Amino acid sequence: MFRQIFLTQWKWTRAPLLIALLAAFSIPLVSLSRDMSYTQPIWDARDLLDRVRSTGVAYSALAAALGLVLGLSAWAADHRGAHVYALSLPIARWRYALYRLGAGALLLFLPVIALWLSALIATHVIVIPTGLHAYPNALGLRFLLAAIVAYTMFFAVASGTTRAAAIVLGCIGVALTTMILLADTAIGRSLIDWAAQALFAWPGIFGVFTGRWMLIDV
Amino acid sequence: MTDPAILTRDLGYRASTRFAIEGVSLNVPAGAIYGFLGPNGAGKTTTIRLLLGLLRPRQGQITVLGRPMPEESTAVLARTGYIPERPHLYPTLTVAEAIAYHSAFYPTWDSAWADRLIKDFSLEPGQRIASMSKGETGKVMMLLALAQTPDLLVLDEPTDGLDPVVRRDVLGAVLDYVAQRHATVLISSHLVHELERFCDWIGVMDQGRLITELPIETFKNGIKRLRVAGAPADLSGAPFVLLDRDARNGTESWLVRGWEDPMRGFLETRGASVREVLDLDLEEGFVELLRSFRRP
Repeated sequence: MFRQIFLTQWKWTRAPLLIALLAAFSIPLVSLSRDMSYTQPIWDARDLLDRVRSTGVAYSALAAALGLVLGLSAWAADHRGAHVYALSLPIARWRYALYRLGAGALLLFLPVIALWLSALIATHVIVIPTGLHAYPNALGLRFLLAAIVAYTMFFAVASGTTRAAAIVLGCIGVALTTMILLADTAIGRSLIDWAAQALFAWPGIFGVFTGRWMLIDV
Repeated sequence: MTDPAILTRDLGYRASTRFAIEGVSLNVPAGAIYGFLGPNGAGKTTTIRLLLGLLRPRQGQITVLGRPMPEESTAVLARTGYIPERPHLYPTLTVAEAIAYHSAFYPTWDSAWADRLIKDFSLEPGQRIASMSKGETGKVMMLLALAQTPDLLVLDEPTDGLDPVVRRDVLGAVLDYVAQRHATVLISSHLVHELERFCDWIGVMDQGRLITELPIETFKNGIKRLRVAGAPADLSGAPFVLLDRDARNGTESWLVRGWEDPMRGFLETRGASVREVLDLDLEEGFVELLRSFRRP
């Protein structure tokens, strides 16, 4: 049962997955290349860190995009048929949703593994200046966590009806608008600080997306 | 006496502010081919979705294959072949992939039967569902419903929009299956003449209510058009149900249900005489039944 659900999800997402896989494999290599050369014996440490930092946003953006595509496509075919097919199958609803979630999560590992392998290769072929260290495992794990957070969030939003998704997005829109309108007031500033802290600082749900995505760091 | 395949009591569901299913009490005998009739928008599809646990009723009880619904929907759906009103299969899959996917959910899947139906229906296993005609998609849905060897087949307008050749193939496969496995079939349609040929029970729905439910022969024989001379205004105590009366040139045209010839005596005691008794076919009976139901 799970195998068949996995195969359908693979079929629906294999094209964007392939693109994500190529992107995930490219980013670490590109971030450490200097004029497409990895074997310069002397690196300027500051130049290297700037280069690594500047590509950091690409990892979080890719993780979010990957989660978005896999989360939405997990339910797209069922939405098209108003969920009648899924509901008419002899399987408990929670189990069906769990299988769909699991199948997508398993597919997430393909670009994650590509990124991790690429990071390992990139950090082995360059000469790392003294005092700096490579973190390919930590980067791979962080990318996995960010992709899972994005995937589960979009999976949950997409699993409901269009109305439910509109309500969720509407609530987010109202919250953002309120914050913008109150931005110049003391209440508004503290509200924004509190929201940013709660969401984007550890252990906030989106904390994994922010911070330093450094393949090489001190 | 065997338990009915489907039994509902006082079923209620509100689909919107303008439409509701109310007080539906269905009784589909085990082994029957039950025609579920009604005009478009009568509530047939909603009732079927309630029966299968796809929707949750606001009130009433549902028992399907001896199990309460929707509490035991997983067990019931494992023994039920369902063809919904609109094609529901994943369009990106090929026929072979759709079969592999569907069969994984049914331990009773009969691969040999599926292979036979692929041949009988002239289906191409490598063809994508999205590129199929309506008739071909209908055949794939029928294949999936039959090859899971269900005890109950629930077919919601399975031939709607199909050409006569495909319709014959699809219905032929159903009859073939029923003959071999003695399954119960609930088939909904607004094409009355189509059901007339092979159903042995019918239920008629309109405006969210079940108007009548009875063996098809009783329905066909019981509804008559009478031409009555000297018709009395008061028909209290009549042994039949007067559905409609229309006066023309001294005689009245009556539409009655439950008519039997000895009932002429009742009318004669009231000073009336029956000039003519006309049989109605199922479609005429169905139309007249709906008219009488809708009349305020």
